[in-house]
Amino acid sequence: MGLSQQDKASILWLLAPFFGLWIVFWLVPLILGIDLSLQSPTYLAPHRVAIESPVQESTQFSLDWNSPQKIIGEQSSQAKYIGLKNFSNVLEDAKFYKALRNTSIYVTGSILVIIPFAFTLSLCLFQLPRISRGLLVFCLMIPGLALPGVLSTLFYLFFHGRTGALNQYLVVPLGFDPVNWMMDPSFIMPSLIMQAVWRWTGMVTLFFLCGLEAIPRWQWEVAKVEGAGTWLTVRKILIPNLWHLALFAMVFLVVDGFASFSGAYNLLGGSGGILDSGLLLVTYVYQVAFPGGSGRFDFPGAAAMSLLVVPVTALILFVILQGRRSLIRR
Amino acid sequence: MRKLISLSILSGAVLVCLYPFVWMFMSSFKTNREIYQPTLLFPEDFEMDSYLSLFSEQYLPFYSFFTNSLFISGMQAFFATLVTAATAFAFAKYSFRGKAFLFAVAILVILIPKQALAVPLFDWMLWLGLQGSGWSLILPGIASGLGIVFFTQVFRKVPNELLELAKLEGYSITRTFLLVLPLVAPALVTYGLLHFILSWQEHLLPLLLLDDENTTLPIALAKLRDSSHRIPESVGMAAATLSLLPVVVLFALCFRKMKTALVNLALS
Repeated sequence: MGLSQQDKASILWLLAPFFGLWIVFWLVPLILGIDLSLQSPTYLAPHRVAIESPVQESTQFSLDWNSPQKIIGEQSSQAKYIGLKNFSNVLEDAKFYKALRNTSIYVTGSILVIIPFAFTLSLCLFQLPRISRGLLVFCLMIPGLALPGVLSTLFYLFFHGRTGALNQYLVVPLGFDPVNWMMDPSFIMPSLIMQAVWRWTGMVTLFFLCGLEAIPRWQWEVAKVEGAGTWLTVRKILIPNLWHLALFAMVFLVVDGFASFSGAYNLLGGSGGILDSGLLLVTYVYQVAFPGGSGRFDFPGAAAMSLLVVPVTALILFVILQGRRSLIRR
Repeated sequence: MRKLISLSILSGAVLVCLYPFVWMFMSSFKTNREIYQPTLLFPEDFEMDSYLSLFSEQYLPFYSFFTNSLFISGMQAFFATLVTAATAFAFAKYSFRGKAFLFAVAILVILIPKQALAVPLFDWMLWLGLQGSGWSLILPGIASGLGIVFFTQVFRKVPNELLELAKLEGYSITRTFLLVLPLVAPALVTYGLLHFILSWQEHLLPLLLLDDENTTLPIALAKLRDSSHRIPESVGMAAATLSLLPVVVLFALCFRKMKTALVNLALS
């Protein structure tokens, strides 16, 4: 379509609000973040120390007011920019790898459980009449509507603990010893994954259900006429039709998993849990930036870490999208 | 037979999803001692103390946190829907110079979420003088990459004939956009709701960007459950119940539209 001068002006009007906000509230912070990540952590502007107090109170930790002052005292003798030192520091930090590993386990674990679960549930729903479908999906989605903090609290009070529902209804009847879900390092990750599953399965089920309802009737009829078995139906009708929805769900879960903060924050009180076995990336960035557990008060380090996560998520999303290409070609 | 199996699987799943919330609601009437017995569902007697203490603002100004949350999430959802829909309409239906580049930029917003930029954003908001006010959350929240991707898919399905007709009538592109908007109402509602839920649940940014006196619900809830245990658990449970209420109501109202929009998207 050829565009007149007037059309170009209207398009500009449509684009302007988004890209205006994009520049001011995304691009500028990104550039500031890159700039910050190149600075020395000990070179702190005094104003930044002064305004820390509101944040401090809300994190339940009391700040040792002597240490930042010591940092300010040193600032004149230090160079402001230190090149890529912060990045190499992060790359040498064992705890960063631990957090990265934990987050990857968290994300892959929840995807591997949620997708098949949601797939089964949506197939079950598809057998039922339309009216009951909506009601049941709605019930399944309620955990996704609740605040992650509420989920953690419920998890803590209801599921967790010796007398908690998980132990009482599941572990003990199967003849195992009660598991201490939040205190045993080998069970913290499964607890976090369980929470993610509880939270998002309903929403992914809704995606799949809508995908199933959108499959044209003739495809089912062809399958029936051809006498296709269950496996063939799954492979030839369900997977091709639902694949792009599964993909969207995966992208969503990856992005949400790498940004997830609230659940682990509430459950573990801002720490990484015993032996840091529940330490997720955002929690660690937060720990580094705002003195609490570690007391490092390291804004540049935190900025460097946030930026280092970007290639990781980009790579994962690229792999997922690449997977789609190869599947379609087949 | 098949139906019976599906029904039993589903009822199991629904039980797992709903029972804890029923327990949560019941727990808002319980004493601490009763709450620490998770297998107990009904309280001995229904005490309304927890709700009363929330509304009398005994522990925190709950009401103002609640309205704050509503305001921030509502504004964010409304403007994000409008702004991203406008941009996505231009992306989906017209070709202009730099389109591919601008679209890639929108994807980049998904890749580097606001949470990753929290620390510099905090500094920048201070400089702008917005730190502490709700606008420091609303304005960055409007530029949503997810919205661009979603609405670009949605507008691709709007027939081109309609746009040509509008052009023949002498409508400008902006006017055409306003004309098309009602046609994609289910999609608008869906995205608005999704955005509302996501900003309702946001924890890290309000923790950093808002003043203590006007934070949002997630932080208020975390505070009610702080380590000192001087606030009865039932108050936290009551606050949790109230925090769930608006989202569930909105969601119930929009659910049908949301399903229509998703089925339309899946039809390809």
